[in-house]
Amino acid sequence: MSEKKLAYHPGCPSATTAIEQDMSTKAVFEKLGIELAEMEDWNCCGAAEAEDPILVYALNARNLAIAEKDGLDIVTPCSICYYNLARTDKALREDEGLRAKMSEIDDSLNYKGTIKARHILDVLVNGIGMDELSGKIEKKVNVKVAPYYGCYIGRPGETAFDDPDDPDLMDKLIELIGGENVQFSSMKTKCCGGPLMMTREDIAFEMARKVLESAKNAGADCIALACPLCGMMLDAKQPDMEKKLKITIEMPVVYITQLLGLALGIDSNKLGFNKNIVSTKEILGKVI
Amino acid sequence: MIKTWELDLNFRNEILNEPGGAHLSACFQCSTCTIGCPIAEIVPSYNPRKIIQMSLLGMREEVLSNPDLWICAICQTCTARCPQDVRISDLLAAIRRIAEKDAEAGKLKIDSVRPLFEKAFLHQLEKYGRLFDMGLAMEFYKGKEGGSFIKGQLAMMKDFKDFGMRMFKKGKMGPKAMFPEKVKKTEEIKKIFEKVEGK
Ligand code: SF4
Ligand code: SF4
Repeated sequence: MSEKKLAYHPGCPSATTAIEQDMSTKAVFEKLGIELAEMEDWNCCGAAEAEDPILVYALNARNLAIAEKDGLDIVTPCSICYYNLARTDKALREDEGLRAKMSEIDDSLNYKGTIKARHILDVLVNGIGMDELSGKIEKKVNVKVAPYYGCYIGRPGETAFDDPDDPDLMDKLIELIGGENVQFSSMKTKCCGGPLMMTREDIAFEMARKVLESAKNAGADCIALACPLCGMMLDAKQPDMEKKLKITIEMPVVYITQLLGLALGIDSNKLGFNKNIVSTKEILGKVI
Repeated sequence: MIKTWELDLNFRNEILNEPGGAHLSACFQCSTCTIGCPIAEIVPSYNPRKIIQMSLLGMREEVLSNPDLWICAICQTCTARCPQDVRISDLLAAIRRIAEKDAEAGKLKIDSVRPLFEKAFLHQLEKYGRLFDMGLAMEFYKGKEGGSFIKGQLAMMKDFKDFGMRMFKKGKMGPKAMFPEKVKKTEEIKKIFEKVEGK
């Protein structure tokens, strides 16, 4: 990849519920020699709760404009932040009237459309690339993984950067680090239920249960993720789900950057392996 | 039975004019959206195709009072698969916003806590520019308990006792989580909400 510096939009859960994703993202990029410069004064993308597209565009025009001032592409570890940033970028590029509308709201929303917003998974596999990554692998991470993509990576089409039905960017990384992808195709892109967690826990739990149990039945040692909301639902809420549904799952859930970090020889504490809710001890025992 | 004299033929235009609703009339009722929908798999009554058909017919009241409007997980599977590019996920959001406007005007009672949750979420953003989890939970639970702060706190503690402890032990809900992280230029965020939401 030619860019040696990117504007980092960490997203709201980066300091709290998804701290291990933030830690491992930073550690991996540091090891790869790419500077992640946290965006000055970034704001929330509106997540799934801002339902008015104009509000989403305004919130993200501000973020895009901040990075544009420094002439840097944005990279984010969160699938929803990515979707909101990327669809705003697209809408504003295509619609002059919308750009004018944004500028009218406030000067800080004056985005010209000269940068891009990308998801870390896209930057790692398509930006940095498998060749460069493979030269930096120091260890074999001998785990069986269920790669879980969820929403916004392969859909909707306007912002997708992977296949909608059978995405494979994480699969590639897992192979690269010496792991094995278990049979999981039918579940890879099924929604985890995250957006309904607070308003319809019953439905959300049922959705998450399907993902977790499929991974278990496929013989996975862990699930790999690329979104903090999936992490909240599948990892942090897993004990609540077990209690409510009277089942045992005990499926470790880690971020793909944590697994990649292990293969790059980074210390597991620096990758936040002690922060995941379901114990990750067994995974760490499989690093050779 | 559909009572034709009760149909609201303008409903379709109302949706078409709402951001996200512009592709409504392209639907040719193939059901692809519903077949792939993860919610339809779990909740038997859930049927986005039918909501679209009823909207096109002008069954305004039935559509807006349908509790299923509020359980879409906005996962975009339907949008990705629709052969007619109806953008169902955005379309349902547009219909939800029409319902919320009616509810605010006292014309409709919404059978879901989702509007409350979304409002509480956006309030955090408006105030701080970032999500403040604790503030969101407190406001949401207060609203759920009919506006009583004390009752809200009790209900929240009951629901989140185990979760909170679990997160605290992992350093994910430390003292830092008790205070909001703020953007510096909150005035810029305020302006966005003023102008977009008309506040
Ligand atoms: S997939 Fe598209 S065209 Fe088919 S029923 Fe659903 S919205 Fe209509
Ligand atoms: S966006 Fe909503 S309606 Fe569409 S597939 Fe997902 S849950 Fe179903």
